[in-house]
Amino acid sequence: MKALALALIALPALADEPVVPKFAAEQAGVTASYTGEWEQMVGGGVAVFDCDGDRKLDMVIAGGTSPASLWKNDGTPGNELHFSNIKAGVEETGVSGVWPIDIDGDGIRDLVMLRVGEDVVMKGLGACRFRRANEDWGFQGGDGWSTAFSATFEPGADWPTLAVGDYIDRTQDMDPWGSCTDNHLYRPEPGARRFAAPLPLKPSFCALSMLFTDWNHSGRASLRVSNDREYYLGGQEQLWHLDPGQPPRLYTEAEGWQRLRIWGMGIAEADLNADGYPEFFLTSMADSKLQTLAAPGPDAKPAYKDVAFAKGVTAHRPYTGGDKRPSTGWHAQFEDVNNDGLIDLFVAKGNVWDMPDFAHEDPNNLLLQRADGTFAEAGDKAGVASMLTGRGAALADLNGDGALDLVVVNRNGPAEIWRNTGPVANWVGIDLTEPGANRDAIGAVIEVRTGDHLQRREVTVGGGQGGGVLAPIHFGLGQAAEAEVRVTWPGDAAPGDWVALGAGSVWQIDKAAAPPVKE
Amino acid sequence: MRQLFPALLGLFLLLPASLARAEVPRDGLTRDLILGWERMALLLTRHTPTFSPPVASRTIGYLGVTGYEVVASGRPDQMQSLAGQMNGLTALPARPQGVDDAVAADAAMGAVVTALFAHTGPTGQRALKAMTAKSAAKASEGLQPAVVEASAGYGRAVGQAILGWAATDGGDRIDNMGFPDGYTPNPEPGHWVPTSHIALQQAPLLPGWGKNRPFVLKSGADCGLPPPPAWSTDPASPAYIQAREVYDTSRSLTPDQKAMARFWSDDAMLSVTPPGHWLSIAMQVIEERDVPLPNAVDALARLGAASADAFIGCWSAKFQYDFIRPITYINQTIDTKWTPLLITPPFPEYPSGHSTLSGAAAAVLTDVWGAEPFTDHTGERDGLAPRSFPNFEAAAKEAALSRLYGGIHFRAAIEQGLAQGQCIAKAVRALRTLK
Repeated sequence: MKALALALIALPALADEPVVPKFAAEQAGVTASYTGEWEQMVGGGVAVFDCDGDRKLDMVIAGGTSPASLWKNDGTPGNELHFSNIKAGVEETGVSGVWPIDIDGDGIRDLVMLRVGEDVVMKGLGACRFRRANEDWGFQGGDGWSTAFSATFEPGADWPTLAVGDYIDRTQDMDPWGSCTDNHLYRPEPGARRFAAPLPLKPSFCALSMLFTDWNHSGRASLRVSNDREYYLGGQEQLWHLDPGQPPRLYTEAEGWQRLRIWGMGIAEADLNADGYPEFFLTSMADSKLQTLAAPGPDAKPAYKDVAFAKGVTAHRPYTGGDKRPSTGWHAQFEDVNNDGLIDLFVAKGNVWDMPDFAHEDPNNLLLQRADGTFAEAGDKAGVASMLTGRGAALADLNGDGALDLVVVNRNGPAEIWRNTGPVANWVGIDLTEPGANRDAIGAVIEVRTGDHLQRREVTVGGGQGGGVLAPIHFGLGQAAEAEVRVTWPGDAAPGDWVALGAGSVWQIDKAAAPPVKE
Repeated sequence: MRQLFPALLGLFLLLPASLARAEVPRDGLTRDLILGWERMALLLTRHTPTFSPPVASRTIGYLGVTGYEVVASGRPDQMQSLAGQMNGLTALPARPQGVDDAVAADAAMGAVVTALFAHTGPTGQRALKAMTAKSAAKASEGLQPAVVEASAGYGRAVGQAILGWAATDGGDRIDNMGFPDGYTPNPEPGHWVPTSHIALQQAPLLPGWGKNRPFVLKSGADCGLPPPPAWSTDPASPAYIQAREVYDTSRSLTPDQKAMARFWSDDAMLSVTPPGHWLSIAMQVIEERDVPLPNAVDALARLGAASADAFIGCWSAKFQYDFIRPITYINQTIDTKWTPLLITPPFPEYPSGHSTLSGAAAAVLTDVWGAEPFTDHTGERDGLAPRSFPNFEAAAKEAALSRLYGGIHFRAAIEQGLAQGQCIAKAVRALRTLK
């Protein structure tokens, strides 16, 4: 903690280029790897969440042909990272992705484990222990090659709605192209606290990332799906309506949806300009995309401009190491890693599997946002430009010091963990909770104001590649010693009141209890 | 049933008398195995990121010659080798006695497809392995092991000879998906500039492709073209008038014109590409008309050579004239917000590659099979409805015109492209194949 405090003093007040935090590689006791061959060429992620209520973030890492593994955080706040592997009931093989979510609303986070084979929901028992709950919760896990996940709570529901994306029919060997198997939507069974039979989301185009998102600031989530064009025929990216009580239906060209065909691999969402309409970063091979609404507003249509080139986030080829071949992007996540109040972007990189026309020495990207909205590459300067074969990843404050640390899951290589040693500026963490089933307030919108600078984040579960973070939402505050914060709770038409919160802490905001409490 | 031709009579009228007799036993199997590898090549073309249309045309060229040479080597009285007729192709390995065509053709095609698609991804590699095992088993079924071994050995030797020949044509290595690491566009008006915000495509695709060794042309400049209309923003100028035609047409497209544009769009990495589309047409004809093996491999060899040379000739002209795309001209001069129906390809406009290719392919197929009606089902797997044509030339004209409807080419590039294709087909026509 002392090192961070000193670094904060040294932070320049104004600079043309963003401050680059240094990330120290720490093995941290973690020895996991995502292993396998063809059926593990995609997937491989990490779920980051607190599984035992000690306010320290633990991890479950997908293992592919190796068992998934839980890593309990037994480090001390502000110090070097340390985790211990414990037998937790999650040790399934064939796991391609894992996401945390409190499914049954008991305040203990559960897990959704996607697999090559039957998908599994795991009930959290506390103390980082889990047990299979497919039968108890009516979850039909199928026998596909599952690769994408997102979750939401539909209006009025006391049970979540899950979306699971599937990939190729793995029985097809000579002509697997065009064999995309169905994605599924798991809605609550009416009148029961369990899932109804899954609805196929037809057509399905080999999804590698999904995200429920309130893209049009309507107060209701739609389902964004990023698809791998390598395998679909006649496919494209997708956006599904999810109207209460109605079957899901695709947005159409007549509604403004524009066809985009990419090797879609990961979705990251952030409202970069705090206008109420999130931007979407879509990883791909070669150029990635950064989409912003062409005409934001109350009647916005889902027509997007690609501003990746203008903003400097195409991330299309390695920027260090000398390999000039095109890049392959996987997990993407927007977070503020230097706490300057401008959200940054991390992209995990790695060759699919011996593809000679794409970079094999493919460094991860850490793109720091400048004040003008463009981004500067800093992966090498920050120390996270690993040349291992990245897949899933997570930016999260693993040692509770207010600087976001990084874990990257590599295919057939060791997971890598970096501790953010700063310099970073001030910060605040917001931990939402509300009564009822949606304990983590999925779908809420948090706004943080420092002077005339506004930040806005939506609480989501999903996106990325093979995993995600369920933790207090992190905001950098720059030099501000406090921030004003307000929340629009799921289902509410208007935001709550602004409250002033001091920097340097995680604040729990409980919809049922005011005022916020410092954790 | 999808009937490409109403009757077989027309076909047999076109064949040399020596080929109109009953087929050699196992010819049907040999043809199916060759077509199976061509089909695998089409699948991999779509799913291998370096396989832009020029690269695809090259592959189709070498595959056509491979199948032809194996079959021709066993029928010296009916067929003549292409060695000595195609640039750089010298005598191929001698055929031992007792070779089985099916096994040899399978081995040769497998060797060439596997090598030319060596850079395909893990799923493509998995498909190649499965195909190699399954087609070899099918080819060798019922044969003595010694025959299989000798035949496969011969086939592999032919394949290696073809690959050795291919390695020296200038198109063997594709870096950076075909886009140069650095490129400075000509700053003068009327020249190509990048048309997208894709970082990789700030340089044009394969600017040196026109210098590759052709199959039958002496060089890529052989079938040269007059220059495109001189760049001008004067509303009375030919350049402005043809840009206005693209713009006005795009604003009043009929449903059929849109369908036409999409049917022939053939985008790289999202389709079999334009040369793959014409190969697909030829394969449909072969299968639906049950074309005899010698005639089938002759057609594939001629079509392959024409496709490859069409792209070399077209690329030579494209980078000679380095002409501006409609989206650039129209945005600068007529309407800053105009966008075309199709994605503008990342290279100069004149002439239209699909037009050159289609002109050449249609002429070659007409030479082989005559002017017959057919229905093209190429896009069915992608949800594109089949389209019917009175003959190959009509299909070529529609393919060419579709680029205007798609908003990616001016009329001059279309008309001159078709003319360039005719010129290239004339060179292919001179090949001596069936006796």
